[in-house]
Amino acid sequence: MNRILASAFALALSAGAVQAQTLTAVLNADMRSSNPGVNRDDNTDMIVLHVVEGLVGYDEGGAVGPLLAEKVDISQDGKTYTFTLRKGVKFHNGAELTSADALWSWNRYMDPKTDWRCLGDLDGRNGLKVVSATAPDANTFVMELNAPNALFLDTLARTDCGGTAIIHKDSVKADGSWDKPIGTGPFTFGEWKRGQSVQLLAYSGYASPKGDKPDGMLGSKRPLVKEVRFMVIPDAATVKAGLMSGSLDIASVPASDAVELKAHPRLNVITVTNPVRHGLIMQTRDPVLKNVKLRQAIAASIDFPELVANVTDNLTKPNNSPIYTTSKYFGEVEKQGFKYDPARAKKLLQEAGYKGEKIVILANKRSTVPSFNTAVIAQQMMQAVGINAEIEVLEWATQLDRYNKGNFQMESFSYSARIDPALGFEQISGPKDKQPRKVWEDPEALALIDKSMVVSDPAERQKIFDELHKRFIEQVPSIFTHNDIDIVAHSKRASGVKPWMSKLLLWEVSVAN
Amino acid sequence: MLRFALTRILMALPTLLIVAVSVFVLIRLIPGDPAQLMLGDLADPASLADLRARLGLDKSLPVQFGIWFGNLLQGDLGQSISSQQAVLPLILQRFWISAQIVLVAVFLACLVAVPAGVIAAWRQNSTLDLGLVGLATLLLSIPTFWLGLLLLLFFGLKLEWLPVVGYVSISEDATRGILYLVMPIMTLFLHEIGVLLRMARASTLEVLRLDYITHARAKGLSEGAVLWRHAFKNAFGPTWTLIGLVLGNLLGGIAVVETVFTIPGLGRLLVDSIFARDYPVIQGCLLFVAFTYVIVNLVIDLCYPIFDPRVTAQ
Repeated sequence: MNRILASAFALALSAGAVQAQTLTAVLNADMRSSNPGVNRDDNTDMIVLHVVEGLVGYDEGGAVGPLLAEKVDISQDGKTYTFTLRKGVKFHNGAELTSADALWSWNRYMDPKTDWRCLGDLDGRNGLKVVSATAPDANTFVMELNAPNALFLDTLARTDCGGTAIIHKDSVKADGSWDKPIGTGPFTFGEWKRGQSVQLLAYSGYASPKGDKPDGMLGSKRPLVKEVRFMVIPDAATVKAGLMSGSLDIASVPASDAVELKAHPRLNVITVTNPVRHGLIMQTRDPVLKNVKLRQAIAASIDFPELVANVTDNLTKPNNSPIYTTSKYFGEVEKQGFKYDPARAKKLLQEAGYKGEKIVILANKRSTVPSFNTAVIAQQMMQAVGINAEIEVLEWATQLDRYNKGNFQMESFSYSARIDPALGFEQISGPKDKQPRKVWEDPEALALIDKSMVVSDPAERQKIFDELHKRFIEQVPSIFTHNDIDIVAHSKRASGVKPWMSKLLLWEVSVAN
Repeated sequence: MLRFALTRILMALPTLLIVAVSVFVLIRLIPGDPAQLMLGDLADPASLADLRARLGLDKSLPVQFGIWFGNLLQGDLGQSISSQQAVLPLILQRFWISAQIVLVAVFLACLVAVPAGVIAAWRQNSTLDLGLVGLATLLLSIPTFWLGLLLLLFFGLKLEWLPVVGYVSISEDATRGILYLVMPIMTLFLHEIGVLLRMARASTLEVLRLDYITHARAKGLSEGAVLWRHAFKNAFGPTWTLIGLVLGNLLGGIAVVETVFTIPGLGRLLVDSIFARDYPVIQGCLLFVAFTYVIVNLVIDLCYPIFDPRVTAQ
């Protein structure tokens, strides 16, 4: 027995020496594919964006800047975008980046056979259309739009679009099927053991964008470890044990574990707000909830500081605005949210003619969102003013199906990150006849949202977003409670860890021996 | 015996057909589909319709079933919607991982539980019997996920003897591979001891009360001879049946244990596929589980004559 233990101990020590060059991070579920913007989810985007890069990317605050482009020139009429490529950028196979690669990648994305997630946002189906893409010389790539659009560069930078990455032709096989990403990012794509782990290897020939520090998808992006290994671990308790034992270096953890992990001598915990919005969405066509006074009563019945403190273990503050707190458009107007006032809630219920009709809140128990806890606390607060609220717990796919069909009264729901506020508003708004999942269909609000997608002047856009926020708070088509927080626990031997928009970005992260 | 085995396999075909149809229909009765989950809250109707068409979900159920069943008859279980891997190799790869854990755990549990059960029955109502029954009840009562977490806490975190997370294939690195499997095997082993010990004890007790045991003792046979030659062989039948059921059950999925120890086995594949509504993988997994059940129980039946000559393959 002693010999076995001694062997195991020696093995652990030798593994430790190897690990000094390796950063072990956690995925709560395996990535779906390695194809940028195709068959994707958030985990897929996070890993793929370590390997590939697009012409533009988001900075830390959500503004778009050049990434593989040195600069972007926009014509006077706002329809022609000229991208000058950075020089000296090489793909992982050693080939130099040219505009021919940008054009090849673009044509591939626009081919319906590719199944690119963002095709519909750029082929005219949703208004915006790229009418031509050309490569006049090796260093210049030009795209022409059907009409000026303030969100064109945002769309190219979107993480769910895979950053509209420029990849090398050898990423696909001779028959056109996907092989693996050969990009220009700080890491090359290593071994993918499905259901177990994904390995990324430092790219020694990486040409980082300008900057002396990381800045979202921009800034300094040097790979500082030889290997990053993302391990697929769905169980939060196992992740916690792995972090505490030192087997894992970095992981997103639930709020309930943050305090304990923070106190652990081996670990640090970082919390950063991201654009994901949690809240209680409402069906404004429901016979009961179509009454705006009743919706206002629900909003007035909820003590948001109390609710948010409980569901996040005091890690963040409420935000009732559809605009997330770290957005540059989150100003004084957006800080004015719903007011907790039980007496007013009771009065509004009377004015609404509410007679105790049942209101069902749908919720799920996924560990990554506060759906159930939010529903439970909101239910108690609503009941306290006399609202007959009930909770129905569903499995996520079922809840999503009900959401897409508009088949709900209330749902404790989380909206995925939309970095530009115009897209954030668009995500929740639209005609329900065409898209039953939309929660807000005020025609004037829809017109304002359309306008915000065309106007590019920040001051003008701020006015539009302020107006939209006020209308949202007044009409209560839904109730946002707070923005999500990235809670990342990491080993003290790892430095430079800085989560961004729900993603672990592992460039500029180093590991002490 | 060969004829018996073939007959049993043929008899299992209707069962497998019923499983195939039921799984196909039931999984589609649950709200939600893979296209919705892939697009999440960003699913506009046009994108959703496009994706459904590409995945073949826009076709009628009978057509979808016809395509799937036609491929199944040719040994093709289709392709995973999530990972786009062929389903059969995926299942076999994951099954092998689960099978390593299950077979070793059940084998070890049998080695301990069956003799312990026989001894407990032999010494019925003694302190030893009460102790063994108490231990079996305790082990049976502890949920496997909690037992697994306790082992993680003790051997992984406190003593730091065993790796807490991850999996390495034995073919890749035998020593590390074994270290990663110790705790999952131990978890199942402890749990199954409880199940098997109680059954071995109960069936031995029944046999020990029979007249021929009294007769054997009256003949002056030693207790060892009575127990081994007369009691155990006759009492082992029900335990053997239970072993078959336990094996079939566990080989079909030890999702909880696999989740706690991050083992990429068949159970986790099935659970992940259900959450992702990955229809081809769910159908393939459940059909494979049913098939495994049939085969395991066939093997169990074929082994009966070894323990009890009165039972024949006829």
